[in-house]
Amino acid sequence: MAVLSVRKLTMRFGGITAVNGVDLTVEKGQIFSVIGPNGAGKTTVFNAVTGIYEPTEGAVHFEDQPLVKPLKGKTVAFALAVGLIVGALLLLLAVNVEGLWQAAVRDNYKKRDDDFTIGKALGSAASYIGAHSGRALAGFGLGFFFGVAGTLASWRRARHAPDVIAQNGIARTFQNIRLFQAMTVIENVLVGLSRSIATNPLLAALGVGAHKGNERDAERRAAELLAFVGLAGKHNLIAKNLPYGDQRRLEIARALATNPTLLLLDEPAAGMNPSETVELMGLIRRIRDRGVTVMLIEHHMNLVMGISDRIAVLNFGQKIAEGTPGEIASNPKVIEAYLGSEEVS
Amino acid sequence: MTAVGRYWVPGLFAALFAYPFLPVAEANRGEQFTILFVYALLALALNVVIGYAGLLHLGIAAFFGIGAYTVGILTVPFFPFQQSFLVAALAAVLVSALVGIAATAPTLRLRGDYFALVTLGFGLITLYAIRNLDAITEGTKGLNPIAAGPLPGVKENVDLSALKVGDDWGARWYKYPYLYFVILSALGGVMLLLRNLERSRLGRAWVALREDELAATCMGLNPARLKLAAVAVGAGLAGLAGAFYALALRTTGNPQAYDFTLSMIMVCCVILGGLGNRPGVLLGTLLLMGFDRIATNLLDNWLQEEFDLGGGAYTKVSGWKLIIFGTVLIVMMRFRPEGLLPEARHARELRESDDQAVDSGQKEK
Repeated sequence: MAVLSVRKLTMRFGGITAVNGVDLTVEKGQIFSVIGPNGAGKTTVFNAVTGIYEPTEGAVHFEDQPLVKPLKGKTVAFALAVGLIVGALLLLLAVNVEGLWQAAVRDNYKKRDDDFTIGKALGSAASYIGAHSGRALAGFGLGFFFGVAGTLASWRRARHAPDVIAQNGIARTFQNIRLFQAMTVIENVLVGLSRSIATNPLLAALGVGAHKGNERDAERRAAELLAFVGLAGKHNLIAKNLPYGDQRRLEIARALATNPTLLLLDEPAAGMNPSETVELMGLIRRIRDRGVTVMLIEHHMNLVMGISDRIAVLNFGQKIAEGTPGEIASNPKVIEAYLGSEEVS
Repeated sequence: MTAVGRYWVPGLFAALFAYPFLPVAEANRGEQFTILFVYALLALALNVVIGYAGLLHLGIAAFFGIGAYTVGILTVPFFPFQQSFLVAALAAVLVSALVGIAATAPTLRLRGDYFALVTLGFGLITLYAIRNLDAITEGTKGLNPIAAGPLPGVKENVDLSALKVGDDWGARWYKYPYLYFVILSALGGVMLLLRNLERSRLGRAWVALREDELAATCMGLNPARLKLAAVAVGAGLAGLAGAFYALALRTTGNPQAYDFTLSMIMVCCVILGGLGNRPGVLLGTLLLMGFDRIATNLLDNWLQEEFDLGGGAYTKVSGWKLIIFGTVLIVMMRFRPEGLLPEARHARELRESDDQAVDSGQKEK
């Protein structure tokens, strides 16, 4: 089964086509590398897959489901509810809320011993609105329209939301490390675990429920992940004070904490020395052995050729080759892209 | 953390609880401090929005006003509702939180300064709405009198004159500062509640969002929901503070009490004390509002009695109040921008720029 299939993905920014009709299929349990010269569009593909960009054309399917959220009944109901609320508010403004209050509350309670009931107040309010029915209708209609339209517009914008995609099981790291720098190492991982901590925050604030137990459980899982990437014993260091290689590893642990099916690593070996790179290769293999499919962008050819099951090569936004490491290494187009052709112009 | 650092907050609360019982608390039994606790509650509410979630909100006074007026409408005798204080306070919290959500939801995409401008506008609109909706809010007269009655099972007056402690300790105790204890307890409760919230996944998610919104989003956190949650909690607590304010004054007072100046002073309290750090915010508010409301008056009286300087405004501390206040702020920002008691994380964030020069060297590949 294909974990990820990218079909005819095109990304345009103004007049620049960063990615042009790229097809990629990543099978479950693979280590899939995307390589190519600088500016070839590798990170753009990652950003389109994780929802940071919305593809100009083409589609991304994850576990055979489109990444675009379908319009559900719940969304429509929510939009209608927002429309009703905004409509009611604009109705109040349109009929003059002061007059309404005067008619409904003050006129029904002029003296202390007046018999005030909610029913009577609502009746007066209804007749007051009835007396201004034209304005009331206009106000309500306008509010309802803007409420529904606004909600649907913001829903449309959020169809590609990175948070929804992350919740579905795609996690990523960033080319220029984006840790929560002022947080400690373990807090970084706990943020990744957020979705799997069951406590309702309000109950936690009131100190009821299984909050403490859940937190301890999360801390235990975070410690496991940190040990897995080789950061055991550094739990309470500040993230930005870690050495560079450790920051990369922490970012991987944080991404793994979201319990992904597919992990995207954007240049995980950038800035690492050769021995750290060898360790990283081992780590990526162990991640794959946990059942997480790995997709990576990398410039280190030793790393790419050593661990990849399949490699795709991008150049100027187009896929020029795809295959096993052996096929890629001997592909003349790839050699040309990296070293230039022999023609003299 | 030293023992002093860890225990000064519980110690402060214990001392404040004990204060009305002491002989030094003269006839008013510490009632002058009640209003400080209300403002401390408001500053803690603002701290949720600015300190935790990193949203610069310049309209917190609007929620304070909404809370006060909700209590007013539900308790004044000339409206038919006349609810007990508990119901009114709960309504104040809910109404403020809902208004907070409704007013913030359409503006969530705005960042930084733009969000601050929208909240500034929201504060002004709310103030003018309160002032001009005469039929509902009585305009500049304010809703008056607010007679909500005590909490269930509590008597507002107790007669301790039979105890015969000292000369007239028990007799003066007859009208004990009931609200002092209620509001101080509420403040303590909110401190605990916020401590728990900080340590929950929601608190961590707010920090993550503040530090790097994109990375937090890619961890599956919904930024819109988190921001709305922060505003809802902050607005709800500000509404509670407003409810106590109306109760302590027995009127909602002039709407001017909820204007932009209050929002700004609250921002100052939060920043002076230490952004994001509850004890710091508490200290900042007690110092700033204590200076404003209590210390200047005491100093004025003392100067008049000791030196008899005549009545000119320049001979009174209260005449120099704003100059002193401004100077302190400037000096603070120059020498200790992270506040009196900074939160460790915020202090690190403030000093981030120093480290970046080193980092960028490493990041070259």
